[in-house]
Amino acid sequence: MKIIESSKIKEKAYVEELENGLKIIIIPKKNTKKKYIIWGTHFGSIDNRFIMPKTNEEVFIPDGVAHFLEHKMFEQPNGTNSLDTLMALGIDANAYTTNDHTAYLFECTNHFEEGLNELMDYVQHPYFTDENVEKEKGIIGKEINMYDDDPSWKLYMNAMNCMYKENPIKIDIAGTIESISKITPDVLYKCYNTFYHPSNMTMVVCGDFTPENLVEEIKKRLLSKENQGEIKRIYPPQEEEINKKTEISQMQVSMPIFMLGFKDTENNTKEKAKKHIAIEILLNIIIGKSSELYAKFYKEGLLLNEPSFDYEFSKEYAHILISGTSKDPKKIEQGLLETIKQMKEQGLNEENFERARRKVYGNYVVEYNSVGDIARMFLADTIKGVQTFDYIEQFETVTKEYTEEILKSVFKEENEVLSIVEPIKNN
Amino acid sequence: MNYKKEQIKNALTLHTINTNNYKTNLYAIFLATPLKRENVTLDALLTAVLRRGTKDLPTQEQMSKKLEMMYGANFDCGVEKTGDNHIMKFYLETLNEEFLPKPEKLLEESINILLSVVLNPYTENGAFKPEYVESEKKNLKLIIESKIDNKTKYSHERCIEEMFKNKPYGLYKYGYIEDLEKITPEELYKYYQNLIQTCKIDIFCSGIIENSTIKEIISKNPKVQELQERKPEYVINNETTEKRERKEPNQVEESMKVTQGKLVLGLDINDTQENSRFVSSVYNAILGGGANSKLFQNVREKQSLAYTASSGYNRVKNAIFIRCGIEIQNYQKALDTIKEQLKEMENGNFTEEDIQNSKELILASIEGITEEQDTEITYYYGQELADRFVSIEEYANKIKNVSKEPIINLAKTISINTIYFLKD
Repeated sequence: MKIIESSKIKEKAYVEELENGLKIIIIPKKNTKKKYIIWGTHFGSIDNRFIMPKTNEEVFIPDGVAHFLEHKMFEQPNGTNSLDTLMALGIDANAYTTNDHTAYLFECTNHFEEGLNELMDYVQHPYFTDENVEKEKGIIGKEINMYDDDPSWKLYMNAMNCMYKENPIKIDIAGTIESISKITPDVLYKCYNTFYHPSNMTMVVCGDFTPENLVEEIKKRLLSKENQGEIKRIYPPQEEEINKKTEISQMQVSMPIFMLGFKDTENNTKEKAKKHIAIEILLNIIIGKSSELYAKFYKEGLLLNEPSFDYEFSKEYAHILISGTSKDPKKIEQGLLETIKQMKEQGLNEENFERARRKVYGNYVVEYNSVGDIARMFLADTIKGVQTFDYIEQFETVTKEYTEEILKSVFKEENEVLSIVEPIKNN
Repeated sequence: MNYKKEQIKNALTLHTINTNNYKTNLYAIFLATPLKRENVTLDALLTAVLRRGTKDLPTQEQMSKKLEMMYGANFDCGVEKTGDNHIMKFYLETLNEEFLPKPEKLLEESINILLSVVLNPYTENGAFKPEYVESEKKNLKLIIESKIDNKTKYSHERCIEEMFKNKPYGLYKYGYIEDLEKITPEELYKYYQNLIQTCKIDIFCSGIIENSTIKEIISKNPKVQELQERKPEYVINNETTEKRERKEPNQVEESMKVTQGKLVLGLDINDTQENSRFVSSVYNAILGGGANSKLFQNVREKQSLAYTASSGYNRVKNAIFIRCGIEIQNYQKALDTIKEQLKEMENGNFTEEDIQNSKELILASIEGITEEQDTEITYYYGQELADRFVSIEEYANKIKNVSKEPIINLAKTISINTIYFLKD
């Protein structure tokens, strides 16, 4: 078993890769009562076209299959639902689907073993019938309607539409009523057999555990499966340019909400964590709580709260998102672009850089307060090919000069887009 | 027990929670004052203005810069209703000194900054800075207006308003626009000066901490020393203080542009016996606590009437709120199904297994209290305000001891007070 360590925050992770390819990561936490386990497969909404390793068959699936599959995994042939079984044990169980992975998880204080039995049983036993697939379409249809009412979801999808012409990130994770109507048990089984193979999965556990014993417990519960080759995923070629500058929708909101995006076309770096740290430092300098620009916007009543920002990336896409509420999003856009331009010309201010650096470091450490945050972070980072402790351990390598380079290469004006959802205009 | 409470002076209590479960220390100051129509807006505005600056850090920019240099210490504030009290909450979270890249002192400074925000605000000519008051008035106005944005929260809020019409708990925690416009910086400052000398003040510290050090830091703070000794003004609410009359349910419908309807039912629990809250918790969990609950199973799973169907127990108001997101045309069917479930509870149509499952759910959440710093603080503050101290272990035991008979008896006292429906 490989041990990786972060001496600064006094945490260790034990990593074991089984013969069948399953990766297990255990982060022991003494004294905590909560235990958290998450089992993820590298299969998300963007994986809509692939070649099955066993048959070499190329498969093109309707939008929303990964999410649909997640919903259906809980149902058992004897009519029980694994979510209920876990809840009955006082175990808080859930699952979610993102752009690039699907995860099944639970958090508990007691009954971890029983929970592990159930989790590993249901994730390894799919049960899809014409009848239960049909019924699920009703339930997911309601969920899709709920998203349709959600202005922040619309805002995000419009921002994606601005940045990409043809990129699977534009697919609604849940699909559409129309696309899910095409889902059949056969499609689900094909996806299950391809993506739910141990070699395409990672399990992360955090809590008061002895790693060696836990790995044995997990192995005992694994079904043996034939090894499978690499899954070839087919995506449209990367587009260098954005699709369009702006998209505006009208919905029932009291004030416009905006999302500003910078498409990052150079996301094939090996130093993913390092780059990510630099981007977060930059975003704090540009529009963080103590930035001059935020103070100015706040004073002018253009922003009420610090905007939230994020850097989303995978092999297929990478972009910075800055979002918030403002009566005049165009002015926000203009102010941001001017500030960025100035910073590129004048370089970063030493004091601002140090302050942002400390803040970002603090944010990373705080994540280690919760077993759930830790486990989810390790899973999401593993899928992206990042080692989570790098965010702490490589922190000192992010210099002012490096950060300035990233500013120039990522925050390009020609790659900037603006999505707005504004109140419905009467008449 | 890792929790200790001591009186620093009348109306000012220090609570410490010693724990090494976290990388952070969390400090909180809570001001409690009775909810009153004439004061809610002032309370909400005051909280926002206080965060704008202290005598030492007079601008928000200086404040943010200071906090960021302290490895991104997080400051947060807000207002909440707890029973018939309006609570103004101020939090500061910092990294524990053990996990800094280089040794540095953070503790004393952190506590003093938080105390300054509440007790030593920035003023000009005997009033709050007019610019701060004006901009916070604008912000608060927008917050009040944006109440409609989140339909799930909005419908819950509306149900509470209808259920507690003309009563303190029916007030909106952010206040009212018509009251807001009239507030001047002088008036707000006068209100503050009076409030700070009458309200109940509780200070919480959680993390790897030394009680005596904290006590000393707080006691020697000059602004703390200036606080008058007094009997604090606040309202004690718990399951024994909330008595309501049974009545015909009040039906309220509202229309808005939505594709999904929101159905919220407010239920009265007309049982005011001491400790009935433990029975109410179990009752609520069986009814709508999780995926095994009657509501989830019957409204969502079996009939596919709703995407969400759950219930929550509000101890301080001795009430239960049922919340469903439904398709608009399913209104009557969903309502009938909910009523059936309430009948089932009264008739004792639930099994020992249901009780056991529900207890497990509650016990898991009790065990979780000590796993999050703010949850643990909120738990002890709840005990403090309700004036009923129950340790976390005792709380778990009381839940374990709830049996079927009292649940049925409690069910018979439950009546629907308000049915709120948000449709298109």
